Amino acid sequence: MATASRNKAQDSISQTKFGTNNFLSERGIPLPKATSTGTTIVGCLFKDGIILGADTRATEGPIVADKNCEKIHYITDNIRCCGAGTAADTEFTTALISSNMELHALSTGRKPRVVTAMTMLKQMLFRYQGHIGAALVLGGVDSTGPQLFTIHPHGSTDKLPYVTMGSGSLAAMAVFEAKWRPNMERAEALDLVCAAVSAGIFNDLGSGSNVDACVITASHTETLRNFVKPNERVQKERSYQFRRGTTAIKKEEIRSLVVEEDITHIIGTGTGRGAAEGEAMDTS
Amino acid sequence: MPDGSFAHPQQRSFNPYTDNGGTILAIAGADFTVIAGDTRQSEGYSIQTRYAPKVFRLTDRAVLAVNGFAADGNMFVKKVKQRLEWYRHAHAKDMPLRAIARLIQTMLYAQRFFPYYVYNILGGIEEDGSYEREACRAAGAAQSLVQPFLDNQIYFKNQTAAPGQSHPSHLPLPDVLAIVIDSFTSATERHIEVGDGLEIYVVVAKGRSPQGLDTMRGVQEMSARPDGDRMFVIRRDLKKD
Amino acid sequence: METIDIARLKSGEVNLGTSIMAVQFKDGVVVGADSRTTTGSYIANRVTDKLTHVHDRIYCCRSGSAADTQAIADIVHYYLQLHTSVSLPCLVPSPPTDLIACLLRQTSGEAPSVHTAATMFQKMCYDNKDALSAGIIVAGWDKEVGPSVYNIPLGGGLFRQPWAIGGSGSTYVYGYCDATYKEGWGRDETVEFVKNTLALAMSRDGSSGGVIRMCVITEDKVERLFVPGDQLPKFWQGKEVLGYDSKKDADVAAAVAMAVDA
Repeated sequence: MATASRNKAQDSISQTKFGTNNFLSERGIPLPKATSTGTTIVGCLFKDGIILGADTRATEGPIVADKNCEKIHYITDNIRCCGAGTAADTEFTTALISSNMELHALSTGRKPRVVTAMTMLKQMLFRYQGHIGAALVLGGVDSTGPQLFTIHPHGSTDKLPYVTMGSGSLAAMAVFEAKWRPNMERAEALDLVCAAVSAGIFNDLGSGSNVDACVITASHTETLRNFVKPNERVQKERSYQFRRGTTAIKKEEIRSLVVEEDITHIIGTGTGRGAAEGEAMDTS
Repeated sequence: MPDGSFAHPQQRSFNPYTDNGGTILAIAGADFTVIAGDTRQSEGYSIQTRYAPKVFRLTDRAVLAVNGFAADGNMFVKKVKQRLEWYRHAHAKDMPLRAIARLIQTMLYAQRFFPYYVYNILGGIEEDGSYEREACRAAGAAQSLVQPFLDNQIYFKNQTAAPGQSHPSHLPLPDVLAIVIDSFTSATERHIEVGDGLEIYVVVAKGRSPQGLDTMRGVQEMSARPDGDRMFVIRRDLKKD
Repeated sequence: METIDIARLKSGEVNLGTSIMAVQFKDGVVVGADSRTTTGSYIANRVTDKLTHVHDRIYCCRSGSAADTQAIADIVHYYLQLHTSVSLPCLVPSPPTDLIACLLRQTSGEAPSVHTAATMFQKMCYDNKDALSAGIIVAGWDKEVGPSVYNIPLGGGLFRQPWAIGGSGSTYVYGYCDATYKEGWGRDETVEFVKNTLALAMSRDGSSGGVIRMCVITEDKVERLFVPGDQLPKFWQGKEVLGYDSKKDADVAAAVAMAVDA
């Protein structure tokens, strides 16, 4: 069948790259280290919809690569997706699915559903057999009501009223398991999401900096970028303004980049311009 | 496959060491030494404790900072302290700084084939008032972040002096403390294993001015006698994320 | 035996540690499962639904890799929908190119038999045995044979059985099932059997736990049953410690009862 042969082609491509990586690592060349969003991402159901939450730290091993990155990605107006795992993978998979969802909405003429995005994501991740390291929390409100899913890198999905993912997921889930109740009000649900992400920020070294949140209801979506900033940078003890001339100059050479050009105006010889202004040209 | 057969032999080995993160650093001035360390102890992505001292007072004028595998570090400090006590019983005085340095070297080498997984920085004041074998040193998780900063700020590496002037060979205590604090707040920003708290030990040579240290925020004097070398500790909070 | 070989799971993969079961009785089948999904020692989902709908009267119980079994169940669900659609024969190439196309041609427009669904599962599990870790039980009701249960263990075999158990928890309860199962049971007895078996498996297997979900599939309807984690059937709880005089407790209890009476 058509699908079978396409899968085979896909396999051979990924197989080749996988083989290359093995070849290189056997020869002592390690795989390039990917920027991982150590990450705490969460989502929960409340009375009027879904709230998603995320920290903003991105790491490369033990080094903080970005102190204020965005982990809540746009899918459609009424659907958002939090990403944990390999930063590049979450960025590109969500962008691709966002694009396909827009096309899908255009061709069907309907408001897109969360299950559609979930199915696209799980089928893509399953096809890549876990080599795309994206762990996602997908949430939104559609014609069937509020929907919340987690999607693991191998393509399995779960549908739950409150979810967490990433290295801080255990800390965040502890907060949800202790305090989540059905039919919470918007304000208390938002507080709970903040508490869950904060638990990740303070107790998981892979997570840190600020809390981003996103409230999705049937009527509209509210993005709360840097909703809480509990980790502002402290004032330095000294100024590190260097005196002009601190950096040694070994050689100095000044080249002129200005091109000088002399323009001579010849008056009275140009006729074309006068003609165009004077009378209409015959273009027939 | 772990099926109990010998078709695919697998090597298993027990690793007795772990890395507990954190960073230490020491800077020597003309008549003082500053030894500092953060207080976070971590394993992997989890924090074991937000307050585990890495800097220890050995004598009235010697301070030891240990970093690496915390269990080894604590055991090592315990054994050094025991040896110093034996020395006091035998000689009725504290061991001089350079003797402590040599003792530590010997104790570490004694474990050459089952080493203590610890990086040590010893700081203090010599009996004759001299100090330092090195003016500044950082070690631990954020060494690669802090040492270049120290080289630039303490040794003035890559800095050209103003015409007709030269860089000072030693900075005054307030400047050194500011650089130490900034080193740790910056390392906390960019290294996930550094944070929670900061402990700075300062040893000031006998008869020298503590240069406003006694009025500093969060300072505590630990000197045994006010007329000898004086020792202070400054405790500060670092970010907890 | 269909125990899940953990080494076959890719690292970090989500695992349905699992105790699953299906039993046929006179009028239908009862399928049941625990609700635990794990990644290593972390419970990623404590209320999972491992009883997956693939057609009106056909369900499957999933064990092994969550991703693999969900993908397979989704594909079978899709094929069975095609099978029911009336206009299908013209879509299928003639002569049929493979077994699944064959199955689709045979009786399209009609509700599929449980055997058809089970064969689709079996084919996918067998053809991709190197890439999959999936142990599936297919059960349901059809008008050809009535109730039936099919077991598809790891390598992709296909076995019709009056009852089937699967997943890591099943190893603990083969003896119980052999000793307890009787032919000719009614609905209620079968439900009790499934509930008790799963509770026993969940209590012994660390990878299984949570709640019990069950489905009773008969000609007329599919009925969902739910047993919360704090209302599972209890068996021997191991209260008595060896060498501890349990009679003493009984004496104290009796004394208290007498005091209250007085």
